[in-house]
Order: sequence, then C-alpha cells, then structure tokens
Amino acid sequence: MSNLDTIVAASTPSGKSALAVIRVDGPLAPTIIQSAFGRKNSLIIKQATTGIWRDLKNDAVDQVVALLWAEGKSFTGSDSLEITCHGNPLIVRRLIEDCLARGCRMAEPGEYTRRAYLSGKIDLTQAEAVADLIHASSERALSSARRMLAGEMGKLVAQWTDRLLQALAILEAHIDFPEEDIPPENPQGPLILLGNIASELYGYAASSKHDSVIRNGLKLVVVGSPNAGKSSLVNVLSGTQRALVSDEPGTTRDFLEAPIAGLPLAVTAIDTAGLREGGSVLEKAGMVRSLEQAESAHFIILVVDASLPPPALPDSLLVLLNPTKTLVIKNKSDLPEHPDFKNFLPDYINIKTCLLDGRDAEKLRSHLGDILVARQLAPGAEDLIVSVRHAEALKHAAEALTEAISHLSAPVHTELAATRCREALDSLGEIVGRIDNERMLDKLFASFCIGK
Amino acid sequence: MQPAKEIRLGPQRPYDVIVCGAGHAGVEAALAASRMGVEVLLLSGNIDTIAQMSCNPAIGGQAKGHIVREIDALGGEMGITADVTGIQFRLLNSSKGPAVQAPRAQCDKKAYQFRLKHRCEIQPGLTIFQAMVTGLIFDRGKVVGVNTNLDLSFYSKTVVVTTGTFLRGLMHIGSNKTEGGRLGDFSSKSLSSSFLEAGIELQRLKTGTPPRILGSSIDFSKCEEQPGDQSPTLFAFHDTRQDGDLFHVEHSGQTLPGWTPGSNQVSCWMTEASGLTGKIVQENLHRSPLYGGEIKGVGPRYCPSIEDKFVKFSEKETHKLFLEPEGRNTNEWYINGLSTSLPFEVQLEMLHSIAGLEKAVMLRPAYAVEYDFAPPTQLYPTLESKKVQGLFFAGQINGTSGYEEAGAQGLVAGVNAASVCKGLTPMVIGRDEAYIGVLIDDLVTKGTQEPYRMFTSRAEYRLLFNHGSAELRLKSKISNYGLVGDGRLSRIHHKAERVSHWVEYMEKINISGGVAGDVLRKNIDNTPSDLPSSFNAETPEVRAEVLYRVRYRGYLNRELRSARKLHDLDNFKVPEGFDFLKAYGLSNEARQKLAAVKPINLGQASRVSGVNPADISLLMVLFRAQGS
Repeated sequence: MSNLDTIVAASTPSGKSALAVIRVDGPLAPTIIQSAFGRKNSLIIKQATTGIWRDLKNDAVDQVVALLWAEGKSFTGSDSLEITCHGNPLIVRRLIEDCLARGCRMAEPGEYTRRAYLSGKIDLTQAEAVADLIHASSERALSSARRMLAGEMGKLVAQWTDRLLQALAILEAHIDFPEEDIPPENPQGPLILLGNIASELYGYAASSKHDSVIRNGLKLVVVGSPNAGKSSLVNVLSGTQRALVSDEPGTTRDFLEAPIAGLPLAVTAIDTAGLREGGSVLEKAGMVRSLEQAESAHFIILVVDASLPPPALPDSLLVLLNPTKTLVIKNKSDLPEHPDFKNFLPDYINIKTCLLDGRDAEKLRSHLGDILVARQLAPGAEDLIVSVRHAEALKHAAEALTEAISHLSAPVHTELAATRCREALDSLGEIVGRIDNERMLDKLFASFCIGK
Repeated sequence: MQPAKEIRLGPQRPYDVIVCGAGHAGVEAALAASRMGVEVLLLSGNIDTIAQMSCNPAIGGQAKGHIVREIDALGGEMGITADVTGIQFRLLNSSKGPAVQAPRAQCDKKAYQFRLKHRCEIQPGLTIFQAMVTGLIFDRGKVVGVNTNLDLSFYSKTVVVTTGTFLRGLMHIGSNKTEGGRLGDFSSKSLSSSFLEAGIELQRLKTGTPPRILGSSIDFSKCEEQPGDQSPTLFAFHDTRQDGDLFHVEHSGQTLPGWTPGSNQVSCWMTEASGLTGKIVQENLHRSPLYGGEIKGVGPRYCPSIEDKFVKFSEKETHKLFLEPEGRNTNEWYINGLSTSLPFEVQLEMLHSIAGLEKAVMLRPAYAVEYDFAPPTQLYPTLESKKVQGLFFAGQINGTSGYEEAGAQGLVAGVNAASVCKGLTPMVIGRDEAYIGVLIDDLVTKGTQEPYRMFTSRAEYRLLFNHGSAELRLKSKISNYGLVGDGRLSRIHHKAERVSHWVEYMEKINISGGVAGDVLRKNIDNTPSDLPSSFNAETPEVRAEVLYRVRYRGYLNRELRSARKLHDLDNFKVPEGFDFLKAYGLSNEARQKLAAVKPINLGQASRVSGVNPADISLLMVLFRAQGS
C-alpha cells in the first residue's frame, strides 16, 4: 500500500554518443524490463542481459543491455535497473517515454542519491560527496570527494562521538549516582578530553575555508609594469599561447583568463594590463580593470623586468600586495639583474626566471603549488576538506564544548556542562545521523561499578 | 461470555476497573482510578503485604525522587506516605544545581505499608479483596474479567495487571530453588499462560536482594555514620496539599500523625566489603547460580550482585556497603550493596568478613529472583495492551525495577483504565513534561533488555524537570483528569500564577547592581538581600521556583526550544492501519522494528532503536503521499 514511486532519467549527458545510460529506480523496475524484453521470467540479478526493448505498442526501440539490482542491494536500496542503449538522443527519449507510460515518473535532480541516503545506504556526508565527486574540477577536489564518499567524515564523527560519550559518561555518573561507590568527582579527566576534542573540531572546521577554493578554484592575478612579461608568464603557466605577446608595452588592454595546467587544484591565471603612471585614456581604463581583478584575487603575481631599474608601482596597486598572497617574479634572468633590486620588496618571496621560451615552466608550476599550500591558500594533499555545512556543525559543537569546559570549573554546574556536551553530540549527529543515549549509559556502566 | 451472576463484595456498582496485585503499582492504579469516580476492585493474594517494600526500605533518590514528586503532583500517594513514615531524609546532589537535586528517604517499612493499606480502605469507590488472580477472561479481543484461586470470577470493563516478580517467580539461594515472587510468598503460574493464550509475549528477568541482619549484632563503632539532613526535604507538595493527608495509620482520625514528618530521624551507617570478602566470593563463584548458568534472566547493571562487583571490577579492592534500618519498631537492618545469590553458608562467611559485621546475626538470606515480564513494546503509550483491549500493564511486568517507576506506571495505567470507562481521551505524558513521560515512552518505544531504572540522563530536557516544578509542569493533566480535589487544584493554579508573575517581574525591576534578573544570573549562588519584600512574603516553594527559572533562563529556554521541535514530529500522526512492513525503501531493520513497536506518531517512531533520521524523512514522504 505504501510504495515509493518508480523514477526514470538518463544518466549520461544529452547529445550523440556511442552509448547512453538510463536508470530506472523503484518497485516497478523488475517488471518493466521483463515486459519490455517480452520475457516470461524475471532477469537474473546483477547479470548483464541483452535484449530488444519493445515499447507498449510492441515496436522495437533499440537493442539494449539491461542490468538489474535487487532491493536492498542496489546503490539506492530500491530495485534498480540500468539500461545501456545506443547514444542517440531520439532512442533515449523514446525509452524514457516508454518507461513513463509504464508507470514511472521523471526523477528529480539528485533523487537517486537522496534515495540512497533515505534507505540508509549512505550517510549524509556521503550523499553530499556524490555530487562533489561528479563536479570535482581538480585532483585535490577529487581526492577529497573520494574520501568523503568512502565515509571518512562519518568515521571521524564516530570517533569524536565516542570520546565525547566517554567524557559525558563520567559527568553523568556523578550526577546520577551521587551516593554510589564511584571515585570522587574530578573534572580534570573530562576537561582534558573535552579540550582535545574541541580543538580538533575547530581544526577541521577551519579546513572549510578551502571548501570554496576546492569547488570554484583559485583566482591568480598577474600584475606588473607594461612589458614586464605578464602575458609570457600566463602563457608559460598555462602551456598555451593564449595571451598575445610583443615588445610593445601595453599590448594587453583587457584581462585574459587561462587555466593553469599541472596543479592539483583548479587555478585560473588572469593576465592584466600593465600598470604605469600616465598612458592613454584607453590604457588607463585597462589599468582600472587590472586593479579590480587584483582586488578580488586569491593570489597575486607581480612580474618585474629585473634588468631594468625597479618600477615605480602606483599606490593603488601597492595597497593590494602583501607578502602572504603575493609572489614576485623577476623576469629576464638571462640578463644581469639591476643592482637596485637588492632592496626591492624585501619581505616578498621572489623567483628569478626567464619567461622567454617556457624552459622554466615545470619548475615555476611546482614552486607555485608549494607556495599556495605553504601560505594555506590551498589545502595540502593530506587535508580532508569539510563543507561549509559540516564546518557549521563542527564549530557549533566546539563552542558548546568550550562552554562545557567553563562550567566544569565550578562543580555545582556539572549538569550544565553535561547539557552542553549533549548539544555538541547533537551537532555532530547532524553531520551524519543520530547518536543514541543508550551508548552513553553503556559506557557509564562499563567504567564504573554502579550499584549499592 | 457474561456470567449468569456477577459477584459483588458489597453494595457496589459493577466494577469498572480490576487491579491485579497491590504492590506499589497496583495501589497507585487503584487509588487513581477510584479518584476519577469509577468503581475499582483491588485483588491481592495476600492483603497483609499491600505496598510492601520488598527490597530496600527507601523511597526516592536521583531521578526516582523526581518521579515521586511527579506522582504526588498527579494526586498519587507514594510521596505523602514516604513523608509521613520516613525515618531519615537526605537531599542528594545538594552541591549541584536544582534540576539534579533529589530527595531520598528511609521509611519505616511496616508503617509505610499499613498507611497505604489504610489509605485504600478509606478510599470511596475502592474495594480490596484477598484472592489471587489465576487467569484473565477474554471476550472477542477484549478483557472482561478475571478468574481467581478461590474459583470466583470477577467482571469489569478494564483490568490493570501489576504482578511484580510473582509471574512464575523462581528464587535462588545457591543451588536452593524455591518458587515464589518474594521470600515467604507464592508464585503465580497460571496467569502466564493466560497472557500467552492472548498472544502476549513473555520473557525472563532477574533481580536480587541482600541479606537482612539483626541491628544489635552490628558493631557500629567500626562503621561510619550517615545522618539525615537537619532540615529535611519532603516529597509531597505540602504547600498545596491539605493537612488532612498527614495521617499516620496508628493515629488515623486524629489530628497528628505518629511522628511529624522529618522529626526524630535515625542514621544509616557505612562500611565496606574488602579484599577478604572478595576472596570468599571468588572462591565460591562456581556455587553462584548467576555464574553457574542456572539463572537465565537478565539482571540490572546498576544494581549488580556482589559477585558481579568483584568479578567485573576486579581492580577495585573495596566496595561500599550501607546499613539501613527497616523501621522504628524493628531491629532488622538491610545491607545495601550486598545483593547475592551465593549459598547461605557463603553469605554468612561473607558477612563475617565485613568490618562491623563480624558477629552479625542473619535474619533473612539474600536471594536472586527470576520472573516473567511482558516486553513493554507490546503496549501503547497509555500502557494498554496492543493485543487485548482494556488490558493495562504496570510495574515490573513491564520490565522496570523500583517502587517509584512502578508507582508512576500504576498511576498512569489507573488513570487510563478509568478514562476508557469514562470515555475520556487517554492520558499520555510527554518526554518534555515529566520523567514519567520519559519512562513510559522509553518502555513502549525502546523496550528494555534489563530491569529498567530511571536516570536523569535518560531525559533530554533534564533542566526542565527540577523536582519543585512537578505540579506546574503537570497542571493541565491534573485538572483534565480530576486527579486532585478542587481545593488543591486551585492552590496549584494560584502557585503557577504567582511563579509566572514573579518570573516576568524580576526582569522589570531594579535592585542594587541592576535589573533583578541580571543580578540573579550573575550570582547564581547568592540571593541578593534587597529583593522586594512582597517577594520574600511568597511561600518558599514559589520563591525557589522563581529563582530557578530566572537564574537558568537561558538554559531553560534552549531546552524549551528543542522540546518544541520534538512536538513537530509528535504531531505527525501515523495513518490508521499503516503497514510498516510494506513501507518500501525503509531498511529491513527499521521495517521490522517499526512494525513491532507500531508507533503512534513520527516522534515516537524516531526514538525506536535502529530507526535513523533518514527513515523518518522517508516516512514523512510516504505519509504525505497518503494524505496524512
């Protein structure tokens, strides 16, 4: 009587391709394929079966390969059918229309994953990771999503929860069994436990600052005087000849974007118009836009021609630079460096290079990658990047624990500290699922000899 | 099958409610139902043991003391009886916040049961009769009466079963086995088959009690004294109750009770079981039916036998023991902490290895008892059976332990049995209203694997449950079911009105240091001297409640907010006849468990073990699809 709908949708993008995949999910899946194939018996579970798909009017639509998963054993937890047909949009459309005629409805975006979550096949962090895995645009984003999908976050939460329950069990023992034979109340143990958990939670919450970088990539803006070699740098980093390069200063009037290849992170380099005092109206307009770009950049590379005297940079640019998010590239290292460069921006990291023919491309890229990680602008390879939602919950839990710690300094407020610990548990629970209070009692009885 | 001739024991109307068993659950059930104006028959195999304290002679303690206050608020009798017959009073956790402080009292065991027996005797609409119920009489899925050992059958609209440890009770002292629910009492065997016949599942639990000894044989000089509180904290709400309740049975009808509540207190004493006792236990472990595999029932973790203490916590060298007097007119003492099922001679050897008990004379041995209980997930939150209409269960048959837990369930079962007869909506107390609500919801939703005891940590909203607020929290229940007289009800309403007035007013008036509310919150341990004199003129109960609510405002509000979230789920009713087994998309575990518990709303469903938030979201989708 109470059945889920059966849903259908194409799993591959529209357009012509060799093959296309359609998924049908829900209780009707086994009967749909049986009748479309005109079979007497049902399909063998998890065994690829080739057949001619005939629609309700008995017209052949395509020769397809069908794969059926049983309820409880599929990704979604429901009966699930995967149809691989030829990749013609017309075929895909007719197959879907036939499924609709057979009682399916169109799946909503993300509905398969939602079903997997609802059926308890995956936890919330894993459900979120599915989309992240599909949309990951860099190695690092991919590895973080992969780890999330493997349930790493769930394991972390389980581990924090376990330790928190341990601390809570001690507090509760002293609230619920004041008369009994347990060691005298000493907040020191729980204090240390809670303190450690709180600082770990804060640590992981902080990694969410990389969340947006992982999703949207990092914006790197190249600035400098005209003719310093900014466009050459962008070409070297991106491994293309996107930017027009000439000896004429001011060749670049507008900014130009190019993705940097070979970094574990999606980084877009933006070439800008050279900055100098004076210049034509058109050139000035270009400079304003350069500054706008630099303002919103995650990272700025200042390119200088080291063979000439250091450039007089406009104040409007200088205020945007700072040593943590700026790298100085001293171009034209094939020529002798001008002596005045000894005192040029001494606090900034600089790299001497020659951008002439891209010979230093590899070195530059790996250097850049290291600097981004060292400056914490990009996550390291070992970091698990938590999403903003996770970070919120982690932070809330950590704050509750910090408050619990402050309550514990006064013995009269053990019950308030316990209340805060429960709040922290709830917050952690929100990340993956719920925490059962019975587990706290199990810990309590395992740790103390309770009972007169 | 209505009888040709119905038996009445006097000029009563036909019985509405029959209560089987007159322990702590049965007495509260019978009294509550008759207070609601229905005709009640209370049957007990031995009316000399009405409200007997089979284990320790004490009422209250952490969370249990809270429950007693709630029972008192709902018009129950446990609190006032403990007050009037208490011989030592202590407020536990007095160094912690008000929400987790709990009153506890040692009671005069005989005075306690005499008073309650007399209370039942004088209750209008309540008849007591000595007969053991041997079976239930069913008619088309309903219970219509009971059979007794006297070959008499009684008929009624509803039946409340409170069998305690008597259902197929089996006692163990070493290898000695005796049938019975309590030393000296019988066991009830045929009633179990009546339940099985109705499709009600039964399982086994185990509990135990320590030896009793002669006080004159204790060397108190080797023990540490534990005196009562100078100013005792009582259980009953004496500010709203009438003094007429304060009778003591020897003095019934007179103006003064036997002794004024809290006066002439006696002490308890502490000693400990040391390594020597541990050695005796270890050497004789094979003779313990608990360790020899004789006992199949599951015992409570929070009340371990001395065998368990020395085996499971072997690193602990000593275990504390409390010596508690059983009354003013007896020299029998209870040794709290020495529960065991070891053979008699080992018990004696153990006793004599304990400081102060070297020459102890034993009056009754310790024993373990196994008994049938009916897993409480077979009940609705009203405590009515899902299988048999009109049949209610309360107390140890539901897998609980403790007089307080039993009394609370008895009261709720009594009220709901009477509600059925009167056509009222049954009373269900929420998890955010009282420990009683937590207790019953836990039982019917999660069931229990061991004798269930209440802890404050079982409540999500512990801070809302300070013991002083029980009447205010349960106000609407008290008035909806007519559980207290009009006089007390109006005093409760007045008290509630004073409290809310002052809670509001404290945020408006200035005292030295600023707004009164802020000053109170800044200094939680000291009450400023310049609060308005009209506030100081309020009763101590009103003042304490106001100060608590003002001081803990932030915390209380937070709990109230999350309680409201719970209500949203509680309001999501499960459609009539919804089949969880066919709920497509739910995990198999969730399906099975939900089908077994049959929750009435999503809130209850969410608390079934093995059901996760995703299952609840899915159910929401399914219910919406059904137009719920």
